Amino acid sequence: MRRRSLLLQVGVAALLLALLALLVNNLAVNLLRTGLGLDFGWLGRPSGFALAESALPYSPSDSYLWALTIGWLNSLKVIAAGLVLATLLGVAAGAARSSSNRLLRSLAGGYVAVIRQVPLLLQLLFWYFVAFLGLPETPIGGLIQLSNQGISMLGMPLSVEFCAVLTGLTVFTGASIAEIVRGGVNAVPRGQWEAFRSLGLSEGLGLRRIVLPQALPAILPALTSQYLNLAKNSTLAIAVGYADLYAVSDTTITQTGRAIEGFLLLLISFLLLNLLISGGMAGINATVLGRMRRSR
Amino acid sequence: MTVAIRATDLVKSYTPGSRALDGVSLEVASGEVLVVMGPSGSGKSTLIRTFNGLEKLDGGELDVLGVRLDAAHEERPVREIRRRVGMVFQQFNLFPHLSILDNITLAPVKVQKRPKAQAEQRAIELLDQMGIREQAHKFPAQLSGGQQQRVAIARALALDPEVMLFDEPTSALDPERVKEVLDAMRQLARDGMTMVVVTHELGFAREVADRVMFMDQGQVVETSDPASFFTNAREERSRRFLSQMV
Amino acid sequence: MNRWLNRSVTLVLTALIGWGLWSVLHWLLLAADWRVVVSNLPLYVVGSYPVDQRWRPLLWMVALVVLIGFTLLGPRRGPLQRWLPLIWLAMAPLGLWLVAGGLVLEPVSTRDWGGFTLTLLLTFGSGLLALPIGVLLALGRRSRLPVLRLSSTAYIELMRAVPLIAVLFFGQLLIPLFLPPGLEINRVLRAVLAFAFFAAAYIAEDVRGGLQAIPPMQREAAAVLGLSEWQSLQLVVLPQALRIALPSLTNQAVGLLQNTSLMAILGLVELLGISRSLLANPVFIGRFLEVYLWLAAVYWLACTAMALLARHLELRLDPLRSDR
Ligand SMILES: Nc1ncnc2c1ncn2[C@@H]1O[C@H](COP(=O)(O)OP(=O)(O)OP(=O)(O)O)[C@@H](O)[C@H]1O
Ligand SMILES: [Mg+2]
Repeated sequence: MRRRSLLLQVGVAALLLALLALLVNNLAVNLLRTGLGLDFGWLGRPSGFALAESALPYSPSDSYLWALTIGWLNSLKVIAAGLVLATLLGVAAGAARSSSNRLLRSLAGGYVAVIRQVPLLLQLLFWYFVAFLGLPETPIGGLIQLSNQGISMLGMPLSVEFCAVLTGLTVFTGASIAEIVRGGVNAVPRGQWEAFRSLGLSEGLGLRRIVLPQALPAILPALTSQYLNLAKNSTLAIAVGYADLYAVSDTTITQTGRAIEGFLLLLISFLLLNLLISGGMAGINATVLGRMRRSR
Repeated sequence: MTVAIRATDLVKSYTPGSRALDGVSLEVASGEVLVVMGPSGSGKSTLIRTFNGLEKLDGGELDVLGVRLDAAHEERPVREIRRRVGMVFQQFNLFPHLSILDNITLAPVKVQKRPKAQAEQRAIELLDQMGIREQAHKFPAQLSGGQQQRVAIARALALDPEVMLFDEPTSALDPERVKEVLDAMRQLARDGMTMVVVTHELGFAREVADRVMFMDQGQVVETSDPASFFTNAREERSRRFLSQMV
Repeated sequence: MNRWLNRSVTLVLTALIGWGLWSVLHWLLLAADWRVVVSNLPLYVVGSYPVDQRWRPLLWMVALVVLIGFTLLGPRRGPLQRWLPLIWLAMAPLGLWLVAGGLVLEPVSTRDWGGFTLTLLLTFGSGLLALPIGVLLALGRRSRLPVLRLSSTAYIELMRAVPLIAVLFFGQLLIPLFLPPGLEINRVLRAVLAFAFFAAAYIAEDVRGGLQAIPPMQREAAAVLGLSEWQSLQLVVLPQALRIALPSLTNQAVGLLQNTSLMAILGLVELLGISRSLLANPVFIGRFLEVYLWLAAVYWLACTAMALLARHLELRLDPLRSDR
């Protein structure tokens, strides 16, 4: 019994190794044939391409590594803003779906039903080409300036590309978050609502102190996976020309031909990003649940 | 008299330092009904689960229908035993995605390679014998607990086992459903089936058992015929247990 | 909610909706020009497929529509119902044969595949490939053998960490590098492979969730009846696990269909890709909104049909609700 499982184990390992060896061998042969070896030296060479938007000073004479870093920061910027806005929109829409106002309820329902069944890429293209590039010149109260060159808010300029990606990610992810919020709140037994109402608690207080604490443990993990999705989806920014991490990697690889190295770097960057998000969420999870337990 | 099950000095330990079975020896003759009783955690389930290899032994030796099992046995004898020993669980464990008929014919068709039509005919006979023939095309969740447990018995019988093991078959049932399952088991005993039954049903034990075995803390406290066990148990521990039962 | 608040919300929403409807009407009547959609319908459906062969993809799509109709509205019993799952499975190879040609049909190069046909082929092909890989990965991740468990886990977690567009892009670049020199596979097949390897990681997690939901007693009951481990997996555990996983698998399938649009970025002319090349045509310059609305409608219909079919399947497979 034990011996058989050991044998099986060795067999499986051998099979996997053989497969890996075959792939690596093919890879080596192909790399030799095309004259490319695994090498990261090119990272220090000047990139030679311009980036439309950068949080830190950047010019084409800077290195590929710096260009990729700028891309990473651009990704971080749109992801962070997207997380906040999508959460707000999602919670609002989720709450609206269980509102007592029928019009509000069906409006939120329609939003979720339409947005979730249409590809995000198509939505991004819509926001970019139709909504933002079609903007007429409109100053709103002097503080916010809308135009097809971008949006300037309190003197801070935001590019059209950034706005389109941010809006697309927010609207798309918001619909999923709305479903999660609704599911979480619905999972709390109806008796709990009746119980706090019968105790004379107001709707708001009951929602905050009775229903949400019970719904959150189910909501938070699903929310984390939506946040990770948002981060991964932000790479579609390339379709509207926003210089995020993936777009910069793409240009870099096309220029240098370093596909494997480029893929490894992208993989590592995303592992880092995911770690950042899930780590942050784990922290939030712990404090939120901890505070609730204490306040009860 | 031929011996169906012979256990010698069985030892089983889930966690180091404590023994669920602590040197259990017993014999079950073929055609005999042995009822096992004892307080919760005394090792009754563990014992009968070793009889068909659901729990591996840590010591001692088992002879089930001439097949040997010990601490170092292979996979092969276990499968042979399982083909010849039927088992019924407390929680029925029917397959929810299969109809009643498919639940019963699954093993005869897939394990014993019997023709499907023949297996179905036998299944209907068994359901008839259990008094639930009309349920053949329903699904487990549509049946009451008592009906489900009778399907579970029919499922085990469909393999024509030489020995049947029951682990508290009526403990999960409403009181008014207990009787229909016990009646089916009583009939089985009358037909000469070798049975090992873990149960707290005193009436069943008194009427059907050939012998009653009382366990505590992984050991056999006493084995007697039901008449003397219930009226005049030898051991103090058995008497205390019985006094709490009624 | 307070009655006054309720009323004012209704009022504001009514005003907003009214304004929205008015702008849409205004656009529809005065500004919209649907020629970009209407005069290019064949392109959206079959791409630049040879004109005299167009009946082939069209035939496939008609067959699909008929099959959907039959599944949803057809009789609940009968000989055809038993074969329905197999017929559905056969639709992928049938489509591939009709579109690619071979046997008696004239071969058509993948360069000429396009439009909704290509979208459907990508979805069906990669989905069908991804399901068995995903099931194997899920079983691997729950295996007792550490080698198998660790390699499955590593694969699943790495694949789920990277964005799809990267997998597709590098799939195009890297798959040829891992193949023996001389063996070449075309762009569409590379896309299908990359999609399948990506989706398999997500499917694996859904299936694993299903497997975890099966009580261990079910395996015990199967073992006691003398079923081998393989039989118990195949007859008792997997059928239940897949049924439990069905709703999340449906979401994966809908996601797959939506995600085929990413191939437009990589230059394939599936539904979205063909629209991008149409919009680059000076005749139709600036007609973004018409095209995007039309595409949204098509995708929405396709995804909704898929979700409906899956819901139907779920009800049929539920032993308690089927009327057998
Ligand atoms: N899978 C397991 N892992 C660890 N310990 C176990 C396991 N199964 C049983 N035990 C322990 O072994 C001892 C005997 O358990 P067993 O289930 O055989 O008792 P029992 O007589 O059937 O009790 P009950 O009447 O409650 O069913 C108990 O102390 C129990 O805690
Ligand atoms: Mg027990």
